[in-house]
Amino acid sequence: MALLSKKDANLILDPLADNNPITIQVLGICSALAITAELKASIVMALSVIFVLGLGNVVISLMRNIIPSKIRIIVQLVVVAALVIVVDQVLKAFAYQLSKTLAVFVGLIITNCIIMGRFEAFALGNGVKRSFLDGIGNAAGYGIILIIVGFFRELLGSGTLLGFAVLGDPIAKTGLYSFGYENNGFMLLSPMALIVVGLLIWVQRSRNNALIEEN
Amino acid sequence: MDKEKNLYTVLFAGAMVIVVGTILAYLASALSARIKENERFEKQQNILYAMGVNENEGDGSVDFIPTDRVEQEFTSYITDQLVIEGDKITKDDQAYLIDIKKQLDILKNGETPKLPVFIGEKDGEKFYIIPMYGKGLWDAIWGFMALDEDMTVKGVFFDHKAETPGLGANIKQRYFMDDFKGESILAGTQYAGIKVAKGNNDPVNTIKDDNEVDALAGATITGNGVSSMISKTVNLYKDYFETLRNKE
Amino acid sequence: MLEHIELFFKSIFIDNMVFATFLGMCSYLAVSKKVTTAVGLGAAVIFVLAVTVPLNWLLDQYLLRDGALAWLGPEYADYNLSFLSFILFIATIATMVQLVEIVVEKFSPALYNSLGIFLPLIAVNCAILGGSLFMQAREIPSLGLAFNYGLSSGIGWFLAIFAIAAIREKIRYSNVPPPLRGLGITFIITGLMAIGFMSFGGMLTGGDEAPVVPEPTTVQKTEKEELKLDKEQEETAVSFNSITKEKE
Repeated sequence: MALLSKKDANLILDPLADNNPITIQVLGICSALAITAELKASIVMALSVIFVLGLGNVVISLMRNIIPSKIRIIVQLVVVAALVIVVDQVLKAFAYQLSKTLAVFVGLIITNCIIMGRFEAFALGNGVKRSFLDGIGNAAGYGIILIIVGFFRELLGSGTLLGFAVLGDPIAKTGLYSFGYENNGFMLLSPMALIVVGLLIWVQRSRNNALIEEN
Repeated sequence: MDKEKNLYTVLFAGAMVIVVGTILAYLASALSARIKENERFEKQQNILYAMGVNENEGDGSVDFIPTDRVEQEFTSYITDQLVIEGDKITKDDQAYLIDIKKQLDILKNGETPKLPVFIGEKDGEKFYIIPMYGKGLWDAIWGFMALDEDMTVKGVFFDHKAETPGLGANIKQRYFMDDFKGESILAGTQYAGIKVAKGNNDPVNTIKDDNEVDALAGATITGNGVSSMISKTVNLYKDYFETLRNKE
Repeated sequence: MLEHIELFFKSIFIDNMVFATFLGMCSYLAVSKKVTTAVGLGAAVIFVLAVTVPLNWLLDQYLLRDGALAWLGPEYADYNLSFLSFILFIATIATMVQLVEIVVEKFSPALYNSLGIFLPLIAVNCAILGGSLFMQAREIPSLGLAFNYGLSSGIGWFLAIFAIAAIREKIRYSNVPPPLRGLGITFIITGLMAIGFMSFGGMLTGGDEAPVVPEPTTVQKTEKEELKLDKEQEETAVSFNSITKEKE
């Protein structure tokens, strides 16, 4: 990290753990629950959000001195929506298969409050470089939680990882299934994502007692 | 100029609308030709996939004919494209471009829709491929179904706009689509369609005459959407199927 | 009338914004520490949803959907502006929210003090945009139903945040493991509540989650409306039903 001063490096590192958007700032929960039944979808979503938030933070930061505060929310929303539509259309024209995979996420990215949250809390008041780092850091912190939740839900729910059967074949009863193990289909349902995130918060706060809330 | 003045706010909003509008409109019109072409190729790929012309390897993958060859393969495998309009059946080699969703809207308004049928031939076998369109949990689902003259399913292709990844989105997985092969849309002499059934104790689908395939875990509503999409479509094409069966 | 009642209860309980589709989770978790604030935010959400969903319905109907511009003249019938839906929906919402904020601040400072601070929060509440997008995806047929949908979805959201806030006030007296206090336990309780709400799926449809193979009477009704079936087809629709019924 010689390229970045310590302060700048913290912009990326903090959201990965102690200031995580999902488990501490309570941002971007909806999408975290909707798409984590599968590890692959979690990774795709994480990458898309890194891209959109990094770029969006730069755009907002560039415009921060000319945006009238009365309509700043509209401006922010228009910037995200326009960015996402542009990306969507370009992908549809030049990488059609990829765009089909991402189609599900387009709506979820626009409504992701993590993006609005960072625009409002950081990009409106900071320079371009710092805003970019903040965007990347927060999106990555969000992505990490997504990937952890996706990992457990796919492994326990379907017995696969990224679509590969890692625990054996549940129908032919090979691998772990030959000992009577069964997939827990419940893990695939959205409420279980809430409970997994709850447990993650438990683990995180047990390791770092400073994060514990009073009530 | 003072940033907080009303005039500035209005001007800023106006400028923003013009800039964003121009960018989006320019992009949409500049790219629409390419996007249309991609969509055309995709339809051809999907139709061919349903009749078993694909590049699937192993048992997991869903691979289409690559876009650079699809046009040529499409013309060689699909021998006829028909349009059914009421009692009238006409040939139209652009029939695959018919938007089935629009036709269903037309039907809803009480008018006669144009229903396309694609007749394919592979290794001496004849396939009748029909498009389907319906609703899943979040948004649209659609697909193609290839049948033979006895109304046995030879292959299906499903796709969706926004079903939940890992759950409803699995309708486009190979194992789900392959389950339909060999099922009949007839129950006795009635057009019954195929039901996506939960807990029919037949996970590998060995029973082929029950009009049922095994459902996807955790995707009840998407599965129900598939069932109703099939039964609706079969109902639409019933008269045409009847003429096929009587021909023998 | 019946469809209004059905949609109303369906949006509150079965398709509850928080427990079934997990929309608006962020503000739901962040602002549910106290019942009074939760009620304030909930009321604001009801109001904004009830206003923006019908507004966006009009936009969708007369501007965005494929062929929506036909009222301008036949030469405009081919335009499909649906790629703009996100940006227009969101602009409507943000505008409405800021408009309401300005009006309330001017005319009722007391109300503004209790409600006003939540208004900016609402613009980023994905339940609001979600409401409009679902309205579009589910093709709600009339303005009245769109208003009903917005209102009842809002009430469902209100109910959810009200319930969790009450639980959180009570749980303060329980001995929760320290690292789970606050956010952690709220996540888990919400998960359990969502599992509980899944059982509402049995309402209205009599045990089957979606009306795929509904009672014969409803089939006749909806199919008549949707497909304009002639008599002969109707018979098949009924017999299709009896076949599948037998199997169950």
